[in-house]
Amino acid sequence: MQNRVISKKDLAGFVDDLIKTKAAGEVIGIKAKDDKFNFGTLKNAAELRLDYDIALLPPKKYFFPQIETVLKYEFGATPKVEPVVDDKAMCLVGVHPFDIRGILLFDAVYGGANPDANLLMKRRNSTIIGVDCLTPNPKSFAASMGTAVTDEGFDLMLTDIGGDYFVTVGTTKGDSLIKKAKTRDATPADQEKRDKVRKDTLKKYQVTLKMKADEIPALLDANWESKVFNDKAATCFSCGSCVMVCPTCVCFDVQDDPALNLKGGERYRRWDGCMLTEFAKVASGENFREHKEQRFRHRMYRKGKYLLERYKYLGCVGCGRCAIACLAQIASPAETFNLIKEGK
Amino acid sequence: MKPRVAFFDFTGCEGCQLEVLNFNLEIVDLIGAVDIVEFREASSDHSDEYDIAFIEGSQTTDRDVERIQKIRERAKILVALGACSCTGGVNALKNRFSMEENLKVVYGDSAKLYTTIPTRPTSAYVKVDAFIHGCPPNRNEVIRLVKCLLTGKKFELYHDPVCVECKLAENICAFERGEFCLGPVTRGGCNAVCVTGGRKCWGCRAPVDEPNVNSEKELLARYGLTVDDMLMQLKIFNGALEVSK
Repeated sequence: MQNRVISKKDLAGFVDDLIKTKAAGEVIGIKAKDDKFNFGTLKNAAELRLDYDIALLPPKKYFFPQIETVLKYEFGATPKVEPVVDDKAMCLVGVHPFDIRGILLFDAVYGGANPDANLLMKRRNSTIIGVDCLTPNPKSFAASMGTAVTDEGFDLMLTDIGGDYFVTVGTTKGDSLIKKAKTRDATPADQEKRDKVRKDTLKKYQVTLKMKADEIPALLDANWESKVFNDKAATCFSCGSCVMVCPTCVCFDVQDDPALNLKGGERYRRWDGCMLTEFAKVASGENFREHKEQRFRHRMYRKGKYLLERYKYLGCVGCGRCAIACLAQIASPAETFNLIKEGK
Repeated sequence: MKPRVAFFDFTGCEGCQLEVLNFNLEIVDLIGAVDIVEFREASSDHSDEYDIAFIEGSQTTDRDVERIQKIRERAKILVALGACSCTGGVNALKNRFSMEENLKVVYGDSAKLYTTIPTRPTSAYVKVDAFIHGCPPNRNEVIRLVKCLLTGKKFELYHDPVCVECKLAENICAFERGEFCLGPVTRGGCNAVCVTGGRKCWGCRAPVDEPNVNSEKELLARYGLTVDDMLMQLKIFNGALEVSK
């Protein structure tokens, strides 16, 4: 597939057309929220802020909503149970490579041995137009995690190469969409520009891992008893902010909600996370990660080891959202991994 | 037979009852599911026969204490509804002063005609079976409790701090706006309504089970505040709770 170059003006026209024609479904894009950014439904291309550093919540919320009804049921002589699966088409514009890696992890987790219809249907009906992050957040360490650039998980990937955007075409779906826009074929010189922009951006990340990302599992293996976990966890609020904003946190809680007339009800799921006190509490009342030190360590192992062992991706993409959200300033996996590495 | 439900008001603004009335269409389902036999704000009916008693307000006179004990004897299930009943609420602000002083400020020359006692939560006097925190309480939580009672399911208090729902609501952290927010140490279940509305958490739903006081102190120091600053804020709704420095 032929990569392309599009002017900023024509990109705006392309996005406005997507909104008007709904060719790829509802258009969702990155927008300003006061002095921060977040994903929301786009009314027009002018709302789009492709120059952003990080979205408050990762775009996973469109495939795995904060609260989602998954089942409706009715009691009575012939009880009925109906799964609820949302299949509306969506086009996400302005997804950063590290957030795309988060979505790919979800695909691996929810598309594996126990496929999740709710997530997979939304993924099948979605189009992803990514954008390279040229203004990383000061807490981000995606460059160290190898997630600052991605060559998979998108239909189109935009890179700001000065006056224009380089458009890397990832899929035939992306190809047929961009063909409708006013573009020109990318030349080897354009591609060089893209590669240079990407290379230069890697240097803008202020937080760096003091090891290679693929060395993290062995580091954790050798340091189960590290006092770093206790030191860090001492000031943990157990507020769950780190796990609520994480693009790779895949856990949820399930509840049944009967109607007041008791004729039926619905089952919904809601984001849950291992840093919350009740997460590991089971029906007997036993809590198998009762102490915040245990929860803190578990989260670090989850990010740096467990998920990689089960799926092919590390459980941390280095976006830095947890570090931004953590009032106690303890949540950054990079910081914990570095401290362990330094033997502190 | 449908369970008989009664609402009783003690010292408070009656905003909790108003919140229940604000159910809109859900109130119709609620009335279909239970018999409301006592509800001063909505009905002139009166009954001493009931299964579930919702208590609004805190007990602030000796007469209140006698009354709550009688209600407890009659009710199979007693529910503390709202901050005043659950924690003492804003009424507990008066505990900072002597009772004589309070009477004088409020009633002036007529002070001798009245009596008052320090504000304490309902659970200080009688066994409370369920708490619905908040000022005002979240109407969805009232509905959830009724559903639990109807289906025989245990009513679990929402245990996560306000931060969880705040993040789900995609809010910008109140601390990032330069506010000192009690969200990290306050029990959620309110959908972080205050922060979502552009304010901060005032702690009306009482502290979580394991508030990290040390971390809170560090946080305060970073924002140039002291423990006293925090206590002043925390005690607006939780003045009757024992809070140690």
